[in-house]
Amino acid sequence: MNSRSSIVGRPPSIVRLIALGLLLSSGVHAQSDARQIVEEAQRRTNTKSQRYEGLLQVLDGKGKVADKRWIFMRLGSHGNSKAVLRFVAPPEVKGVALLIVNHPDRASDQWMWTPALQRERRIALQDRSTRFFGTDFSFEDLEERDVEQYHYRLLGEEPIDGIVSWKIESVPSEKKTSQYTQSIVWIRKDIYAIAQIENYIKNDVVRRLKYSDVAQVQGIWTGRRLEMHDLRKNSRTILTLDKLQYNVPLKEEDFTLQALK
Amino acid sequence: MILLEHVSKHFEGRRRVTALNDINLHIPRGELVSIVGPSGSGKSTLLNLIGGLDRPTGGTITLDGQRLDGLADDGLTAVRRDKLGFIFQFFNLLPSLSCLENVALPLHLRGWPKKKIDDRARELVGLVKLTARLDHLPDELSGGERQRVAIARALSIYPPILLADEPTGNLDTQTGIDILRLISDLHVTLGSTILVVTHDMSVASSCQRMITIRDGKIVDDLRR
Amino acid sequence: MRLLRLISWPYLKKHAVRSLLTVVGIVLGVAVFVAMHTANQAVFFAFERTVDKIAGAAQLQITAGEGGFPEDVLEAVQNVPEVAVAVPVIEAPAATRVAGQGNILILGVDMTGDRSLRDYDLESGDAAVVDDPLVFLAQPDSIIITKEFAGRNRLGVGDTLTLSTMVGDKAFTVRGIMRSGGLTSAFGGNLAVMDIYAAQQVFGRGRHFDRIDLKLKDGVPIDTGRAALQKTLGVGYDVAQPSSRGQQLESTLAVYAISMNVSSVFALFIGMFIIYNSFSIAVTQRRSEIGILRALGAPRHQIRNLFLIESAVTGLIGSIAGIALGIVGARAMVGTISGMLEGIYGVAERAEEVSADPRLLGGALGIGVLTSMMAAWLPARSASRVDPVQALQKGKSQVLTAGENRARRFTAAALMASAVVCLLIGRSIWFYAGYVLFVVAALLLVPAMALWFARGLRPVLKWLRPVEGALAADSLIQSPRRTSGAVAALMLSLGQVIGLGGVGRESYNSIVDWLDTALNPDLFVSGSQNLSDRTFRFPESLGKDILSIDGVDDVQSVRSLRTNVGGTPVLLIVINMAGFEQRGHRTMVSQDPRGMYALAKAGQGVIVSDNFARLQRVALGNRVDLASPGGLLTLPIVGIVADWSDQQGAVFLDRSVYEQYWNDQTANVFRVYAKPGTDPQVVRQRILDRMTPAQPRLLVLTNKEVRDWVLQLTGQWLQLTYSQVFIAVIVAILGIVNTLTVSIIDRKRELGVLRAVGGFRRQIRQTVWMEAVAIGMVGLALGLLFGAANLYFLLQITGRDLSGMYLPYRFPFDLALMLFPTILAAALFSAFWPAESAVRTSLVEALEYE
Repeated sequence: MNSRSSIVGRPPSIVRLIALGLLLSSGVHAQSDARQIVEEAQRRTNTKSQRYEGLLQVLDGKGKVADKRWIFMRLGSHGNSKAVLRFVAPPEVKGVALLIVNHPDRASDQWMWTPALQRERRIALQDRSTRFFGTDFSFEDLEERDVEQYHYRLLGEEPIDGIVSWKIESVPSEKKTSQYTQSIVWIRKDIYAIAQIENYIKNDVVRRLKYSDVAQVQGIWTGRRLEMHDLRKNSRTILTLDKLQYNVPLKEEDFTLQALK
Repeated sequence: MILLEHVSKHFEGRRRVTALNDINLHIPRGELVSIVGPSGSGKSTLLNLIGGLDRPTGGTITLDGQRLDGLADDGLTAVRRDKLGFIFQFFNLLPSLSCLENVALPLHLRGWPKKKIDDRARELVGLVKLTARLDHLPDELSGGERQRVAIARALSIYPPILLADEPTGNLDTQTGIDILRLISDLHVTLGSTILVVTHDMSVASSCQRMITIRDGKIVDDLRR
Repeated sequence: MRLLRLISWPYLKKHAVRSLLTVVGIVLGVAVFVAMHTANQAVFFAFERTVDKIAGAAQLQITAGEGGFPEDVLEAVQNVPEVAVAVPVIEAPAATRVAGQGNILILGVDMTGDRSLRDYDLESGDAAVVDDPLVFLAQPDSIIITKEFAGRNRLGVGDTLTLSTMVGDKAFTVRGIMRSGGLTSAFGGNLAVMDIYAAQQVFGRGRHFDRIDLKLKDGVPIDTGRAALQKTLGVGYDVAQPSSRGQQLESTLAVYAISMNVSSVFALFIGMFIIYNSFSIAVTQRRSEIGILRALGAPRHQIRNLFLIESAVTGLIGSIAGIALGIVGARAMVGTISGMLEGIYGVAERAEEVSADPRLLGGALGIGVLTSMMAAWLPARSASRVDPVQALQKGKSQVLTAGENRARRFTAAALMASAVVCLLIGRSIWFYAGYVLFVVAALLLVPAMALWFARGLRPVLKWLRPVEGALAADSLIQSPRRTSGAVAALMLSLGQVIGLGGVGRESYNSIVDWLDTALNPDLFVSGSQNLSDRTFRFPESLGKDILSIDGVDDVQSVRSLRTNVGGTPVLLIVINMAGFEQRGHRTMVSQDPRGMYALAKAGQGVIVSDNFARLQRVALGNRVDLASPGGLLTLPIVGIVADWSDQQGAVFLDRSVYEQYWNDQTANVFRVYAKPGTDPQVVRQRILDRMTPAQPRLLVLTNKEVRDWVLQLTGQWLQLTYSQVFIAVIVAILGIVNTLTVSIIDRKRELGVLRAVGGFRRQIRQTVWMEAVAIGMVGLALGLLFGAANLYFLLQITGRDLSGMYLPYRFPFDLALMLFPTILAAALFSAFWPAESAVRTSLVEALEYE
């Protein structure tokens, strides 16, 4: 399907995909529109690879816990990508790594590596809804997902931080396992970049992800500050992307369990 | 010799009952004395006090120069052992012991040597003319025979004082006469001091001295 | 009711002390019953709660024996469509190295996902249990302890806790403290949670899990889910509801439970006889009163009911006091039972709340009242038959009639004959019926036997003290009814002492015999002081290293694990058959003509212990099904040997077969034989020097140390006997005090005469003491006779249903010998108070007629 808008930005990969979806029953028109918007957004963010240094800050009721830093590398994009996330700070967690192998048609495979134990552990599908090590992201929120995994419906238009955005409902397809019942995704009309995602369980919003500090990096519109708000716990995690690069040369061999070690 | 000076006995209960009131009595050695009175007059109490089975509330009792007041229980027992023999109305034989064993009982309690006990017990059984019934149990004896066993037991140590409480009270007249005769015979033979409590005037009148008690007091003291 | 107030109450008041003693009989019986069951229940309840808390919301649990199973099973389970959530678990007890805390159960769980099944939420509420989950996971020394444990040991986040693990003593860092409630109540808080992958390492699990806990998808019935899982996994895996673990425990503790029940039944029986005793006496003493009532027109049933109501009230009061006492006793017993659990689970259960089940208490109340009424039935009946005219005659006391005695003897003979018939039939239910018939017959014979013994005793006592002794014996001879209750109670309890003592002694001896022949290695290399602790294992190849040490002649590796056969957790012992043949020295019971070692070595059969064969009711040639992670292994029994390795039975399997089916190359113990002429102590030091750098956990135990350890375990059997001796002493005291109290009332006159004719207090005391000693002696004599038979029955029960050990019959003479001074001392002790009361009575009163 064709996109109707020009290439704009793309959201950082780890969180992006939750939003990629739109449309369902109520009117073939709205459905096809919504899906096209998402497809366009996905198309505009297609890259061969990505690398950045992330800073993770958890702000709970009592304030900041501990800053963590990681290096993120991804090969491929969306449903055909693999990613490695390796912690570099603080010293207690240095070397802990996560390997994510995404699939276009189903949930990703995830493994974790702990250097002190010298072994990997699989993150089971059933555990994807649990929090990602004390942050407000869940493991599922780390997946790169594909437009094919959701049904979409356009709900209308709404400004986010003063910028007009499409408001699109996305419901996981039958074979997609998700903790969320549905998500509402706002995509900026000007640059096709995701501005905000609200994830629902039944009728309640449980997590809200906001993208800010949007800038063009190597021609791709990217939000470089992500704020995940867990509404049930009223706690926030801020992820800041630093030294972001697209299409860096990365090797396939670096994205295996062996390479994690 | 038995000496009672100002002896009283009260029973404390909800109501104070006076059983004996200021009794003064002297019984010389070798006398055969009867104590008579209606029932409840205090005659048995008097005997119990003299026998050391009970203690007076006031006054002193002296047996053969030995004062009973101030003696502990075992002291009283020692006095009974050495100076007293008892004959009871209901015989008080031990049902599981034979005639001979019953007679030997006080001697055993004194820890005499076996041979000596046996000789003495046989002698006493002979004295009360029951040799034929040596190994019988009390249940197998007649009332008179039982009382004779009891008398033999009371005499086992040849006590200087013999106390008899209604010795014929549970016997028919003829047997009673026989027992009484036995007692007076023994008095003559052994020369013991004998006190017989009875309400039978014929028994009483057969004694040398007759003391009458009424309401805890000596009202009459007759000597023949 | 009015009668009760007018007639019974004054009597009770007058005989307050004795009434109290009567009540004590029921108190004791009910207390033992309540204490044993409450303590049992408390521990089981605590254990079940522990299991429940550890299981959390898990609907099913998957296990594969003690060996665990490979990690990839988890994924297979997670892929079963019926399964919603499945999480792996490792459970390992570890010594805390904290004084008084003993072991702690380490629960290794998958920290990334386990939360959905368990209620130790790591982040619920406003304060997270673990500050930083990532740090927790990244650091393998991370541990979460319970608030209870932290409080007891003053530990806080960041503190170190040293635990004994497979890799030696290891310092853990407390990185979280669970709030109270839920899981923290398991094992009274002696529980800690750590990352499962770290636990695998420190507890030597390799890439194995111990268990998978799972929840099924909504709407899937448990049975459906279980069937699906069982189909996926095969027979080597056990898929069960968490509650079934409690049941398994109960079956493991069956030996204990049965002896408990036998003891509490005996206690109640004994209580019954004390009541019977008291009521018989009461009826005798109150004959004239009954006569007056009858003369005034009271019908027979009214008299009988009067006594029955009295007994019911006695029973009620006694039961209530007994329940109270029982609950107190239960608290004391909980520790012992918890200790037994520790042997099974590795961590002592802390059953801190001993709350009794109202149904149990209701039952105990009912049993107490019923026992009391049953005991009073005969005396009440005889009271109702009192002839008014006879009763009003003075000075005549009722004695056991010859006719009554004959009827009893006849009944006893008939029962005894039926008992023999039952025993000849021999099948389980008949056997127990025979046992019961025998006990009843023995009880019926008590009066006649007591009389007989008392007559025999009279000359002896008379010789000792011509007057006091003869009178003491006569007192027994003349009132068999007064004495027989106490004697019967004493007989029962002493019979139990002899029976249990004999069984205990013989098991001990058999085990010593077995130790002498089978326990022949010079040294044992193990991961734990406790050889049955299978938590710590070494690679089997370690055996070769040990063999290469100078002075070592031979090394045999042993891997033992519990596995379910026919619903019983038996011990599977994995050895190299060749070495076992050469060194094992098991006494052979029977074997396949082709040679059991050769067949077993070739993987064509297993060798089993004879208690296994007996308990499982299998014989040579029968097949044994062994579930393994590699599938069902069915092998014929090719040999039966004498072996007491385990009370539930042992199965010997060759290592080659085991490795193939269990995919496990570890060993728990190495049996090391030193070269002849080499000092084992020297070899021990060499092994330690060589091995400990790589295996810090390794311990080398000498033959003597292991032997002492086994004997110490076995000695616990004997402890039960000593508690029975204690009960016997209490019974003796109670029965004798009761009997003597009545006796001195009956003999008031006789004792008065004695004093009147010159008996000193000392002499009066002596006759009371001698009567006590005489009762004790008669009780002892009957108790030893009864015990001789009881021992036979208990040995049979042991062999048939408990441990499968058929022990030789040997009367425990030394125990019997020990009972003499004990019971005689108890008798003298009991006589003290009655004797004092005898010398204090007024002489005048004693000599008077009532």
